[in-house]
Amino acid sequence: MTTPKLSRIRLPLSPKPTLTNSTIRSPTVRHHTTSTINTSEINHFNALASSWWDPHGPSRLLHLMNPPRHTFLRSCLASHPTQPSKNLHLLDVGCGGGIFAESAARLPHFSSITAIDPSPSVLTVAQAHLALDPPLHATNKLTYLQSSIEDLPRTKQYDVVSMFEVLEHVSNPSNFLREATQRVKPGGWIVGSTIARTWTSWVVTNVIAEEVLGVVPRGTHDWRKYVNEYELRAWFVKLTAGTDVGGMDGGRWDFRSQGVVYVPGFGWRVVEGGEKFGNYFFAARRME
Amino acid sequence: MWFRSATLLWRRTALPAGRPFPRCYSTPTPTSPELYDVVCVGGGPAGLSLLAALRSSAATSGLKVALVEGQDLKKNVLRDSTPSTFSNRCSSLTPASVRYLKEIGAWSFIDESRVQPYQGMEVWDGLSGSKITFDWDETNSVARRPSRHDSQTIAYMIENINLTTGLQNFLKALGGITILSPAKVESISYGDSTGSSNLSTWPVVKVSGGQTLAARLLVGADGANSPVRTFAGIQSRGWRYERMGMVATIQLESEPVRKIAYQRFLSTGPIAMLPLPGKMASLVWSTTPERAEVLKALSEEDFSAMVNAGFRLSDPDLQYLHGLEAGQAKEVEWRRRHTPQSGAVPTTVIGVQENTIAAFPLQLRHADTYTAERIALVGDAAHTIHPLAGQGLNLGQGDIASLVRTIKSAVESGQDIGSTLALEQYTSERYAANNTVMGVCDKLHKLYSFQSAPIVGLRSLGLSAVDKLGFLKGFLMRNAAGGA
Ligand SMILES: Cc1cc2nc3c(=O)[nH]c(=O)nc-3n(C[C@H](O)[C@H](O)[C@H](O)COP(=O)(O)OP(=O)(O)OC[C@H]3O[C@@H](n4cnc5c(N)ncnc54)[C@H](O)[C@@H]3O)c2cc1C
Repeated sequence: MTTPKLSRIRLPLSPKPTLTNSTIRSPTVRHHTTSTINTSEINHFNALASSWWDPHGPSRLLHLMNPPRHTFLRSCLASHPTQPSKNLHLLDVGCGGGIFAESAARLPHFSSITAIDPSPSVLTVAQAHLALDPPLHATNKLTYLQSSIEDLPRTKQYDVVSMFEVLEHVSNPSNFLREATQRVKPGGWIVGSTIARTWTSWVVTNVIAEEVLGVVPRGTHDWRKYVNEYELRAWFVKLTAGTDVGGMDGGRWDFRSQGVVYVPGFGWRVVEGGEKFGNYFFAARRME
Repeated sequence: MWFRSATLLWRRTALPAGRPFPRCYSTPTPTSPELYDVVCVGGGPAGLSLLAALRSSAATSGLKVALVEGQDLKKNVLRDSTPSTFSNRCSSLTPASVRYLKEIGAWSFIDESRVQPYQGMEVWDGLSGSKITFDWDETNSVARRPSRHDSQTIAYMIENINLTTGLQNFLKALGGITILSPAKVESISYGDSTGSSNLSTWPVVKVSGGQTLAARLLVGADGANSPVRTFAGIQSRGWRYERMGMVATIQLESEPVRKIAYQRFLSTGPIAMLPLPGKMASLVWSTTPERAEVLKALSEEDFSAMVNAGFRLSDPDLQYLHGLEAGQAKEVEWRRRHTPQSGAVPTTVIGVQENTIAAFPLQLRHADTYTAERIALVGDAAHTIHPLAGQGLNLGQGDIASLVRTIKSAVESGQDIGSTLALEQYTSERYAANNTVMGVCDKLHKLYSFQSAPIVGLRSLGLSAVDKLGFLKGFLMRNAAGGA
């Protein structure tokens, strides 16, 4: 993907749901590959690597979103009293410079964090940043791997598989999600955040955030790849019903979401119904 | 040792652009430092409160913390158990500060028989006689009333040493803190990077005993000349007032029926008397260095007379009296008889507790920011203020509450508590708020330092106006009580 030029993007008059038979597909995916990874996305994030941890750099909004991610995940975990609350194993997919993975490693309820990303340069940044916290580094709780999700063995399952701000960057969300669900233990969770594909989100992320305010680097978002909350929800319903492509048993899933809005000067705020028009958190619990 | 200075040079040049140049006044220490989550330099009211709050909150009690204090904390404790003599370093704690100390569990360690709550404030202009009466009841409608007990109380007079002794005992009961005292900070420099352990962003404190401590977060609670602030390269700006704050513990003729604070604005600065238990009171007289010298040299009797004069006689009278070498007592007595008294004046002073007259230079200073990577400044290290509103220590308590809240939310979301991002909340919560209080106190001081007729005229208009404007008074009152 190249940097979208404003002139090249036509205003979507009615964002059409792109739910095909059983997959969520980005309307612009022109070719199918087995990989869920998009190489131009990797190049884009490689270029951002050096400024990843600069609190006033291009990743500032992601940094600010990190505490609400934990709040959301904590509320999910707390919603099931039978859930083990300690010694959890976490797989963080698309970990980037490690903003979420590193913070999760500091929390006592996680005993191991495997964080993966296809981009070698962001992993170098993540690793170097981890070294700046010698006590944390010494715990060996956090492991970074250059890998895509499909290259991880399916035999290893986790209590939580997280994917924050990832879904909108992968080539084939449906394949990607299927790979992720297979790595969740029964009773475990998929948790993540993404942006709905709506008029508002197009204006906010592609026009305002990237072009006008410049708070997000240009080319970070391809609006056409955004996934709507109802599409995601429907995807999990189908997976649970066993009508997913391939007919395999994908487990039974309980889906939930929560809209969040960035308010300049105040940070991220939970907004009920926000999942319908902009950024949202989602989680799905794999029932035992 | 050439190689060591070479590494030092490398580290300096390798610092990211924009970060202030660190004052590294020693070579890095050869032995590896002990790692702490929080190292607090300074065991005054601010530093001790910080540690107490961190240890008593569940979310932060897991942090590994250390205190470095230059003086011997064990020697610096309250010994006097009879509340008849009092230290000359007293502060008025606002209900908000007391509430916070109760919240963290420290208040029960304070000797309350030595604390004096007060319910009213008489403030007036010595030149025009114009008056502003602070009475809590009048402003109740606008003021937050947290509890029935607090509602009547503007503030609590407490000896600093009573507060710090209580905090020390509380910390002892809590346990789990490394306390280095007496241990002066000798140098602060960034740590080394060896293999996978990279301490290049961690401040390493070397203390007089030879120990070295590396800090995830280094807190400067080290007073107005903060070495931590200097290390962080944070500028502190402001000015000296060319005034001294004279303090003394004074004895009154009789115990006042109502405990009230009195403050009279003189052309040289305000004179204030704050109630202590029984017949005792605490004096804070802001005056010129010359006059402070004169007052310090007086006999007990003459000094007491000058305090009485300060609340009663005219500016020319006071000027004359300061010119005398001795004999003020007689002069004042005579003049008092010929000066009509209007309104409330404090009970007559009859004596001064031995060795309690002291004077401190007054200044206003405000650090450019309170945080940098792995650095936070609290209390007087961040700001020093004119004592006319008795806010200095209270601002520090507000800093502690905010910093601990900030650290708590960082811990809960797995952030590195020393990262600038995690610390942002603290600066944004406190900076503007402190600046407002500092500005108001500074303006008041300036307004009342003029003697020329037009300004005195304006001023009396000003105070009467303030007295009539309920909302403005409400603002001043709430700030005085720390509830804003
Ligand atoms: C005359 C006067 C009257 C006042 N009246 C009031 C009042 O009524 N109400 C009020 O709220 N405030 C008042 N104040 C202000 C109040 O006293 C201060 O704001 C308060 O003491 C500040 O506390 P702190 O802990 O920040 O700093 P400090 O009390 O200055 O403590 C700093 C500590 O750091 C230690 N330290 C410094 N350097 C080093 C080093 N290199 N190594 C190790 N340790 C070090 C020192 O030994 C000291 O213990 C008054 C001040 C004055 C001068």
